[in-house]
Amino acid sequence: MARYGMALDYKNCINCKACETACKEENGILRGADKHRIWVGITELKGQYPFLDIVSNTFYPSQCQHCDDAPCEDVCPTTATYTDENGVVRVDSDKCILCSYCIEACPYDARYVDDRTMTVDKCNFCAETRIARGETTTACQNTCPTKVRLFGDLDDPNSEISEVLRTREHFSLKSHLGTNPKLFYLT
Amino acid sequence: MEIEISRRKFLQGTVALSIIGGATASSLFANGHSTQKVTGKLTNLNTKTSTTNSNSVATLCEMCVNKCAAIARVEDGMITKLDPNPMFPKSKNMLCARGNAGIQALYDPDRLKKPMIRIGKKGEGKFKAVTWDEAYEAILNGTKDFPGLAKILEEEEDNRSSMLFCAGEGMAEHTFKQFYGAFGSTNWLNHGSICLQTVTSGYGVTLGAYPQADLDNAEYIVMAGANRAEAIVTPDTMTAFKRTKGRGAKLICVDPRFTNTAAKADKWLAINPGTDLAFVLALSYVTITEDLQNQEYIDTNFNGYEEYKNNILSNEYTPQWAEKITGIKASDIYKVAREFAAAAPKAVYYPGRRSTFAKNDFQLRRAMAIFQGLHGAIDCKGGLIFGSKLKLGKHEGLEPLYAQAEARAIKKKAKYEKGETPYDDCAIIPGGGSWLSFRNRYLEDKMPYKVRGMFCYKHNPMMNMPNNKKTAEMLKKMELVVCIDTMPSDTVMYADVVLPECTYLERTDPVKTFGGVEPSIAQRNKVIDPLYETKPVIDIMRGLTNKISKPLFEITKKYDEDVQEAITEDGLENTYAEFDITLPFKQSQEEINHHMVASVYGEEAAKELHHNGVFYPNIKKYYKQLGANEFQYYPEKKKSYRVRDGKLKTSSGKVECNIKSLAKKGIDSMPKWRDEYNFNVPKGKFKLLTGRHAQFTQSGTSNNAMLRDLLPENYIWINKRIAAQKSIKFGDMIEVSSNVGSTRIKAYPTEKIAPNQVFFIHGFGEESHELGLAYRSGGNDNAVIEDVVEPVYGAAAMHETNVEIRKV
Repeated sequence: MARYGMALDYKNCINCKACETACKEENGILRGADKHRIWVGITELKGQYPFLDIVSNTFYPSQCQHCDDAPCEDVCPTTATYTDENGVVRVDSDKCILCSYCIEACPYDARYVDDRTMTVDKCNFCAETRIARGETTTACQNTCPTKVRLFGDLDDPNSEISEVLRTREHFSLKSHLGTNPKLFYLT
Repeated sequence: MEIEISRRKFLQGTVALSIIGGATASSLFANGHSTQKVTGKLTNLNTKTSTTNSNSVATLCEMCVNKCAAIARVEDGMITKLDPNPMFPKSKNMLCARGNAGIQALYDPDRLKKPMIRIGKKGEGKFKAVTWDEAYEAILNGTKDFPGLAKILEEEEDNRSSMLFCAGEGMAEHTFKQFYGAFGSTNWLNHGSICLQTVTSGYGVTLGAYPQADLDNAEYIVMAGANRAEAIVTPDTMTAFKRTKGRGAKLICVDPRFTNTAAKADKWLAINPGTDLAFVLALSYVTITEDLQNQEYIDTNFNGYEEYKNNILSNEYTPQWAEKITGIKASDIYKVAREFAAAAPKAVYYPGRRSTFAKNDFQLRRAMAIFQGLHGAIDCKGGLIFGSKLKLGKHEGLEPLYAQAEARAIKKKAKYEKGETPYDDCAIIPGGGSWLSFRNRYLEDKMPYKVRGMFCYKHNPMMNMPNNKKTAEMLKKMELVVCIDTMPSDTVMYADVVLPECTYLERTDPVKTFGGVEPSIAQRNKVIDPLYETKPVIDIMRGLTNKISKPLFEITKKYDEDVQEAITEDGLENTYAEFDITLPFKQSQEEINHHMVASVYGEEAAKELHHNGVFYPNIKKYYKQLGANEFQYYPEKKKSYRVRDGKLKTSSGKVECNIKSLAKKGIDSMPKWRDEYNFNVPKGKFKLLTGRHAQFTQSGTSNNAMLRDLLPENYIWINKRIAAQKSIKFGDMIEVSSNVGSTRIKAYPTEKIAPNQVFFIHGFGEESHELGLAYRSGGNDNAVIEDVVEPVYGAAAMHETNVEIRKV
């Protein structure tokens, strides 16, 4: 029993896509630019050469936010989307009927369709692979060249992630929606 | 293990048979279409790790040159995942996108699988699959289509230098070079002159060595012409990005393009291509005129400071002067110089790790090294560092003396005055040669003797150097071309004999020592047995030398008077012992590595290295995991920040400002600006810039299914306003042409580039039809870049070409 979350030191991100590749190899994700569990969002560069606004061009590593109040779970008619004992929002592909309500409901665009099973797929914090084997990091965290990611148990006050969230300022994406994401962007 | 069923089949049964077994004499490449159908299916496969039993093998990545440590997860004989190995101080628990995608290099269905010999026209890519022995036999005695070594050496009267040896960078380059040494040729061309030659030499002659930068501790970093966030992501610079954006280190990015490095910088200065030297000279001017230098360091560690100071002042390299040349505002130049001085010695002008862009690159590197010295930020924490290196035992090679082997095929000018370049090619011929000059002179029949064939290891001259039409001509003209590679590259298409090397995950490579602040020894261990009929280079060399050593010695006996004399004196057997070129390859790589480590650090260390992939004295005591993302390799006190106590490895032991021996060869003895360096683009044309990418390493990764997914093809950056004028929209096909050729590539209009420049990344647009994914995908820079030779070391200057663009 844990409540897993991830803190992202997003200013470290250089958009090298090591995380995306590690995720695909670890979890057997389909290839194809539109098939991914994690990605890096880029805000568009503003200005005209050579007067460009450096700050406007920011990289935001992103994936399922593992919301405590997940809208995807609320709309799922077959309970295929569920929160597991570790607070990880997951999809049971046996129950998924690809009604795609969850894809529409997710404010973070975290879901896509796996063409092999014709069910919805998304990040599950390596629940079936690394975490099931008893490892303590996700594939994306472990491989990251600039060490953007920190995965851990939010319920454990002594965990590194709890310590970081206590001592560093952070924000969540679209916090006004009340979804209570478990991904935290460190400033 | 959950792996797609077709992937499992590919390896274990029917599909594999349909490729390997189906490769009858003429069909391996000649029947390319059917191969490609299978290819199409196989590249859609995925690995997934499971929760069942697995083995772990420590290895080193070879997706680029950095050799990051990795741990391969092996399930049921298949590699299902590559993870970073946290124990290696150099790579600090990272594996980039390419490192993760190494699995796809291993299981690439387009890999070279069998030895092959050419049956079609040269360059046509028609081969037949043969056994290893048949391939070696073809190298020795040729076929009806090409001559073998015996014929060539017989006709050239045992001039071993009639064979050229070329190699790309890699751990097994060492093994191939031992073959070169044993064979007895003097013609060696490696990646140097299309890689770091002017950087390493510029720093080498000025500071005595090419230094590393202590970016962990630097407080101020100028990164000029170095796109470390994208250009082949390397571990040495990753720490910098953890500390920028006002979080410990200030990063100034100087680049003509707005790169991802610029996006991570605190300040980006757009500079005209090829004018960095003027920027550095002006920084030096501010340093000296505002008395910002570290006079104590200069007094004890500079040779020729007064002359250099005079050079800077008398030429009036002011920021105002530099503004006109570089396009960088004078006020910014003042600011950078002052801020650098304030942070020094914890300040770094990043030395750079790239190929030569402008003809003045050697002088640029000298000026950068001297500027760093002005601030005393050398051989110290937070500055440029040399670090220490751990010793390794020796593995003896064999370099017989062949009396008939001619000296290197370089050409001194018939007549040259003092102060003139002595060679046709360039002023100083580097150890790795000048590829462009050699190629061009070969085509112009300006060789001192006949060079008739070449061995090419892990090297792709068709894709890696400017003006590939000329490279194709050269490869066609060579009578015997032997390629050792893992992939059917554009160069392999021109081979007479193809020897398939296994990938890095299927072989143990020579153990290597990695110097730095935290030195270590690391080893690439074989993870799984080689697939198909591929072999590691050492096995290839063993097989080949067993075939050719004695027959070629017969030719030596015939023409080499020294050998004839030796036989009379010492007997045949004793003489041959000195010429038995099988000797360096008798042992296995595992045995050699074990000996090289055990002889210095003991048996236990060799075992530890094999098991962990990494070793250094006291590793058990020092190595600690500090947090999920943090490791200690050495305690702070044991790190090698300062190792020379100021004394450098130059001839004077000091920073060399004024190298008079250079002047004798027609090279400026001190960095100077010359008008010919000015940035200039004729109206209607664009300066072509090339560069590297975070998801690709040159052409070697171009057929990788996972990476191809991230970037299916390259795009040409065109300034948005220019694109609008020319009605060019995103994705429009553009023809880019120069004086030497043209290529087609899709458009990416962006404000990240200046209106008079265009850019696209290197390594795309292959012509080898056996590369299922890479074939004609994107534009090829080397079809367009002109063969401009940098004058000092004969490096290829990649940013000296103006192009026209046209929507097609």
